[in-house]
Amino acid sequence: MTEPTLLWDDVRITYAGGNVAVDGVSLEVERGGTVGLAGESGCGKSTLAMSVLRLLPRSARIEGRIVLQGEDVAGMTWGRLRAVRWTEAAIVFQGAMHSLNPVRQVRHQVAEALALHSTKEFPDSAARLRRVDELLALVDLSPAKGRAYPHELSGGQRQRVMIAMALACDPELIIADEPTTALDVVVQAQVLDVLNGLVRDRELTLVMISHDLAVLAAVCDRIVVMQHGRIVEQGKAQQILTAPTHEHTQELAAAFPIIGDPSSRLVVGRNASPGSPGEAGVSTGSTAEAGRAVLEVRDLTVDFRSRGQHVRAVDHVDLTCGAGEIVALVGQSGSGKTTLARTILGLQKPTSGQVLHEGKPLPHRRGALKAYRRQVQYVLQDPAASLNPKHTVYEAVAEGIRIHGLDDERERVIRALTRAELTPPEKFFAAIPQELSGGQRQRVVIAGALALDPTYLVADEPVASLDASVRGEILALLLQLRRDLGLGALVITHDLGLAWNIADRVVVMHRGRIVENGAVEQVLLDPQHDYTKSLLAVVPSKLGLR
Amino acid sequence: MTVIETVPADSEDTRGSSLPRYLALKAGGSLISLALVVVLGFFMFRIIPGDPAINMTRGRQVSPGEVERLRQEMGLDKPLLVQFWRFVRDLFTGDLGTSYVYRRPVTDLIGDYIGPTLLLTGTAALISVALGLWLGQKAAWRRGSWFDKIHTGVALVFWSVPTFWLGLLLLLVFGGGLGWFPTGGMSTAASTDTGMAHVLDVAHHLVLPVVTMVAVIYAQYLMVMRASVLEEMSADYLTTARAKGLREDLVRTRHAVPNALLPTVTLIFLTLGLLIAGTVTVETVFSWPGLGYLTYKGLSAPDFPLVQGTFVVFSAAVIVMNFIADLLYRVLDPRLKSS
Repeated sequence: MTEPTLLWDDVRITYAGGNVAVDGVSLEVERGGTVGLAGESGCGKSTLAMSVLRLLPRSARIEGRIVLQGEDVAGMTWGRLRAVRWTEAAIVFQGAMHSLNPVRQVRHQVAEALALHSTKEFPDSAARLRRVDELLALVDLSPAKGRAYPHELSGGQRQRVMIAMALACDPELIIADEPTTALDVVVQAQVLDVLNGLVRDRELTLVMISHDLAVLAAVCDRIVVMQHGRIVEQGKAQQILTAPTHEHTQELAAAFPIIGDPSSRLVVGRNASPGSPGEAGVSTGSTAEAGRAVLEVRDLTVDFRSRGQHVRAVDHVDLTCGAGEIVALVGQSGSGKTTLARTILGLQKPTSGQVLHEGKPLPHRRGALKAYRRQVQYVLQDPAASLNPKHTVYEAVAEGIRIHGLDDERERVIRALTRAELTPPEKFFAAIPQELSGGQRQRVVIAGALALDPTYLVADEPVASLDASVRGEILALLLQLRRDLGLGALVITHDLGLAWNIADRVVVMHRGRIVENGAVEQVLLDPQHDYTKSLLAVVPSKLGLR
Repeated sequence: MTVIETVPADSEDTRGSSLPRYLALKAGGSLISLALVVVLGFFMFRIIPGDPAINMTRGRQVSPGEVERLRQEMGLDKPLLVQFWRFVRDLFTGDLGTSYVYRRPVTDLIGDYIGPTLLLTGTAALISVALGLWLGQKAAWRRGSWFDKIHTGVALVFWSVPTFWLGLLLLLVFGGGLGWFPTGGMSTAASTDTGMAHVLDVAHHLVLPVVTMVAVIYAQYLMVMRASVLEEMSADYLTTARAKGLREDLVRTRHAVPNALLPTVTLIFLTLGLLIAGTVTVETVFSWPGLGYLTYKGLSAPDFPLVQGTFVVFSAAVIVMNFIADLLYRVLDPRLKSS
């Protein structure tokens, strides 16, 4: 029997202050195996991965054994450890963000690993740079891209550079830490494709970390689900994805619904709990279809001028949102969906065309615009960024009430918080955002919008920054508000699964134009436009099922 | 799988395209600042109490007529606006007027005294920047260590010490008491040394003023570099570098420091300009024949053309350094080239 490439034996990792990140994990990764580590932020999956190369901060205390290629990592001298780093195990960091040095050309960053570990094969810098070109070719990048600085590359390209860098010294084991998070679905599919090809061709051992079960299933044979530092479920990827048994795995799986599966259509009064069909499929939008138009967009065009170049972000768009209707506006990043939303809210001036509210054009006068904004409220993507960290929950919710000079401030705040299911509301008054969980923060943002009794919500990626288990709750809240208050919503998202979860109607936007618009079943189950089809082809849940 | 074409940002053609425009904007801004400084300087010095004509003739028996004649000679009898007009007109022809005290064109005087100032500030700046940056990044890397505590502590003590006091103390101990260093001037008055001997003589005179200046200013470079490195300490690309197997030294020097230097460079150049203006105290204490010393002499008269002249030079130094900082930042940070 061959020894495993990587072995965690009853590993327990404690940070300063007694915070236990990993709590007794035993896991074996066999040679050539592909293992996915799934879990929400803070579940300890990254800590576990970083422990392999001893990359944790000094305050971390590690108990148990971590064995890499038969050698105990804890027993290595610093010199040995440095030699092992990158040659036996390399890490693909989340390169879309900040994992590349911003002031050095990427080819030099890749070559640096060669200069450290492979001076025999590549003795001089010219030979190393030639090797870098080969490595870049492996991940479908041209040599010219090597001369670029990180900011000059797109997120997908940066991620490929990270992969090329990881391959530089031919390591046995690759650890990929959230390699596709923050990437567009389409780009995500491309990066996963590259990764998949390399793992198969080079018979690499892969440990991949993600909060997204479907992404893991697309690459890995085995999935391990973690919660609170422990492994709660593990098994074959397909089995975890399609028939999860642990409650937490079910929550994770529900965040990436299988489009076309009626049980993942959310219904008011029930949280996302897949695998329990029943009243599911009963369309929630039947009454909404008849609603009158609250918002109408007529032949709208928005141009941006950047350094002498005209960019058309929104290109002759027509759109109608009915009262109490939930419309999902989907598209890739850069498709113009956020610009469209901002224009609807009067935050961006249209180049031509108009926006109508209740049949009347959007006012230009400040006072009238203010009244309009009270009717149509905006919910932003990242609650951590959209809430003032110094304001208490009460302040955050009451701010809009004060601006609009409404009476019964306290009453209104209590009502808004109750509606956003932050109960009892008084308990949250004095809290500052930092003390709340991600889901609670987003509820505060929603409460801030509700405080003004709006008739319509515009929500920009309302759950994109939230963990899977919270995602279902917030979506259920939107549906409940629609039932109780008749509140419609234009939900901007890149996530077709979300559209399937809650929307009545799906509007697909591509390069500033609306390419498809129709009832959710019609658009997602029988797409007509090529772009919609290609988006559906790269939906994570589909990737996992390949 | 269907692959949708993504539009990659083609960097090649956009890189640095707006450089001339950027240069023109920054240069224009600098010129406007300079013009405002000239105006401000002129009126500011007129507020200084004291009548140059009376001060210059103090201690001598002069008739009111003579004083009046002196006034006329210096153009002080004219209304302020006329004086200003003359000042501006002359400025455009490169004439900063004639010093009341020295009875020589101010431009000549500045030409004579600027050399020693540049020598003094240049040496002090070089040493304090190198020292400050080196200590700063070391201290940040070992935050909380004894190295960090001692060096930030010592630097802050020197930073808060008055320059003249430190200068006098050094002068007293190492110049007067121990006699290791000369107590003033730039070279030994009687010497006729040339070549190497002269250089060594000047260097000997340079030690105390440079030590005084360095001690007082290196703290700001240390603190800024320290803060800047600390900011980068948790950057993800450092984890990448460590994972690649780089030694800690290399992680610091190759990855952390180049990034930390970016915000620091601007500040260094901003302070370099101020440094020249800050020589007044040091040069006065050590009788260093530079612009600061000249300004001190001019202020006690008050010698309007002279102080206006040195004021313009000091301000120009700050503005020019600021301009260089803007340019350098752009060159150093690849992200600014294309944005």
